[in-house]
Amino acid sequence: MPAFPQKPEVPGLIKGLGVTARTAIRTLFPNRGIKSLIPAPSIGANTVQYPHTKEAPPVRARGVIALREDNCTACMLCVRSCPDWCIYIEGHKDLAPPRRAGGKPRSVNKLDRFDIDYALCMYCGICVEVCPFDALFWSPEFEYSEPHIADLLHDKYKLGEWMETVPEAPELEVGADKKGKK
Amino acid sequence: MTMIDERRQLSYIAAQAADARVNVELETEGMTLNIGPQHPATHGTLRIIARLDGEQVVWAEPSAGYMHRGYEKLTEVRTFPQVTALVNRIDWLGSFANEVPFILAAEQLMGIEAPPRAQHIRTILFELSRIANVSLFLGDLGVQLGAITPVFMAFRDREYVLNLIEAATGGRFHPNFDRIGGLKDDLPKGWLEDTKASMHKLRTFCDEIEDLLFGNEIFQSRTRGVGIIPKEVALQYGLSGANLRASGVDWDLRRDRSLPMAWDKVDWKVWTHPDGDCFARCWIRLQEVREATKIVDQLCDTVPSGAVMAKVPRIIKVPEGEAWVSTENPLGEMGYYVVSKGDTGPFRVKIRSASFNNISITPWLLKGVLVPDIITILASLYFILGDIDR
Repeated sequence: MPAFPQKPEVPGLIKGLGVTARTAIRTLFPNRGIKSLIPAPSIGANTVQYPHTKEAPPVRARGVIALREDNCTACMLCVRSCPDWCIYIEGHKDLAPPRRAGGKPRSVNKLDRFDIDYALCMYCGICVEVCPFDALFWSPEFEYSEPHIADLLHDKYKLGEWMETVPEAPELEVGADKKGKK
Repeated sequence: MTMIDERRQLSYIAAQAADARVNVELETEGMTLNIGPQHPATHGTLRIIARLDGEQVVWAEPSAGYMHRGYEKLTEVRTFPQVTALVNRIDWLGSFANEVPFILAAEQLMGIEAPPRAQHIRTILFELSRIANVSLFLGDLGVQLGAITPVFMAFRDREYVLNLIEAATGGRFHPNFDRIGGLKDDLPKGWLEDTKASMHKLRTFCDEIEDLLFGNEIFQSRTRGVGIIPKEVALQYGLSGANLRASGVDWDLRRDRSLPMAWDKVDWKVWTHPDGDCFARCWIRLQEVREATKIVDQLCDTVPSGAVMAKVPRIIKVPEGEAWVSTENPLGEMGYYVVSKGDTGPFRVKIRSASFNNISITPWLLKGVLVPDIITILASLYFILGDIDR
């Protein structure tokens, strides 16, 4: 165990000021070769000026849930597995034209309502995981705050719009066994 | 008479005795100081009721429960995957570490074990959450003692760890990545290399903090010899984690308990300190971050290939039985006693969280200290309110 001297060689006040000065200089003049002499705080800083520059979240980030409406069969699995019951589904059975000519009309489940209340959602991702028909996806999009809490209830059209922002699943690390689910 | 009534009576008698002493011997009037429930130095809503005699604390008691969320009861009406999402929120700074003991208990009941690759990645994420948790402590410590720079350093370098956790699991704070039988998904490509690069930055951060904060004379004079916990008292009050190791007890569940994790496959050291004062507790935590970066570094080199999920049924029903699993979490020993009746959810879960036991020593520890030292002692005990109240 290192013995700390009771009286350090450099007084703490001077050392602290030195750290502040060093950090300020490194921020103003980041190390980038010959151009180091030109002040560039936007490069040297650890933060970004948020509304003007944006940091891209990782591909897997759980930002918002997107819905592919065609795949949903209103099976209610996501509703039942949601820990705080923030998904609302209504559906009805409908008759679709037969697949082959002369066949009987098929009965399909039509989705009337699919709402996710993001005021309640705790972003656990269980609904995306249990969906057996690949209708729900995570998107890393995060800018959907609203002035009114009621507007955080996204209906199926709004959830469908998020589908455009869903990224491809990332490649897996060396030694992984199988392809990841999208 | 029930035990709670007896205890309440005893503390009342102690308060009366303190009052009498204050009035008769010192001819001063006592004062009751409420620290919290809303106070910047309590990190959360812990209330400390302190009876003062001038600047000295005569009697003190923590009053917890302002943020009780009823997790033990809530687990009875949730299924096993849902409970994993819930227990994330107990100690919110090291959330992945909360999932692991619960999942291990459920796996023990089901009689399955995660594949070696999953165990490895679990251990890496466990240690990453330890780094995220304790590096915030190192910064927070400076703020509570009046230094502002360390907290900026801590938040700057903790970001690397949180970004890693987010890239692997999808959640910065609440990963919900552990599943019964393995992990939700494999790691994304290039993650292990990023991790090793970040671990280097974290070690630099530790050196900076040690030089700037731990070597500072004001810091030393405020922490050395303050709030000394002797070995026996620490054991009697059931302290765990760094608070116990700082009192000279060589006890670490990562090494002492055989769990299906990868800690026994790497080379690392359990640090202890004989002093038991605030400085020792802070110093032990600093060393723990260093050891954790070493563990992560070594584990990143030796991740075995294979699947990350064992064969488990789609709808998880845990067979009847009882299991107790505890691990060495960032704050101390955290354990779950899971009772299952063969249903999709647990019948009863008892959560043993480290902070609750760690703050139970405050009535003993705060007796006789000065008011500014209360803050130092509370900061060095390091509790998370969610971990106390759960």
